[in-house]
Amino acid sequence: MPDIFIAEPNNEEPPAPQKEKPVSEEKAKSKQTLLSDEDSPSIFKNPVRLFCSFKANPDGITFQSQEKDEKILLFLRRDFITNAKWILLGISLAILPLFLPFTQHLLGNLLPSLPVKFYIIFFVSYYLFVATYLYVNFITWYYNVALITDQRVIDVNFSTLVYKDVATTKLSLVQDVSYAQVGVVRTFFDYGNILIQTAGSLDNFTFESAPKPEEVVHIVEELIGKRYE
Amino acid sequence: MNNLSQILQISQMGSFVKIGFLIIDIAFTLFLFVVIKQVYTMNTIVNDSNDSSLIKSGAFLLFIIAVSLFLTGLVIL
Repeated sequence: MPDIFIAEPNNEEPPAPQKEKPVSEEKAKSKQTLLSDEDSPSIFKNPVRLFCSFKANPDGITFQSQEKDEKILLFLRRDFITNAKWILLGISLAILPLFLPFTQHLLGNLLPSLPVKFYIIFFVSYYLFVATYLYVNFITWYYNVALITDQRVIDVNFSTLVYKDVATTKLSLVQDVSYAQVGVVRTFFDYGNILIQTAGSLDNFTFESAPKPEEVVHIVEELIGKRYE
Repeated sequence: MNNLSQILQISQMGSFVKIGFLIIDIAFTLFLFVVIKQVYTMNTIVNDSNDSSLIKSGAFLLFIIAVSLFLTGLVIL
């Protein structure tokens, strides 16, 4: 009787040693895979635009302590209308030198007599200062971000270029969420402050001037609610 | 004689203005350097793959203009 447990002889030839691919070919291949990766901006289905302040399920956003399986559900910035003050001031500063020739007629020659090249340099410097003022205000708004993921709430505060604060809390520690929308402007443009209360002695979170506060509260409530289901 | 003294006065004032301008521009360039550093730091905290390069290039553009303005002021004023 033949022994059924005897292994059949392996007639397969040992695999031939693979030839090493040339470095340039490997590089090209890795480049291709990189391009086809999710990081490629061309394939983002739901990207966060430059002036966007509210985005549900955003694509292309990552943060420092993000877990591999952690998904961002909501991306928030202050409502864009809150930038009106510095934008208007910046525009006013930009058009101010255009009125200088008219004031000279009224008030006489107030400027000291210097060669023209000085005035050209001052003119360029002035616009550089105005552009920097606008840029700094913009990035202050741009990096003030609140993120709600499927695991936690993250609040990134960035102001006056030297202060930054990143606060995080797990969704399991969130006890209550509410919002306040006070004033005509806030009601008209639909933005308000969202308060996320956490358990125990942990600090509460406040998302100031967040757009669509009702919707945000609803989303967070659903996420908290899922926990108790 | 009167014209000569006027020219001397202007050139003296011009050198004061030049030094003042260069000091302000150095301080401003250093400030822009801090801005670039902060932009990079913030990009590591929250990274938006769509627009981060645009934000960075904006900061670099301002920095380059400030440096070139300093050099221009140094040469032509």
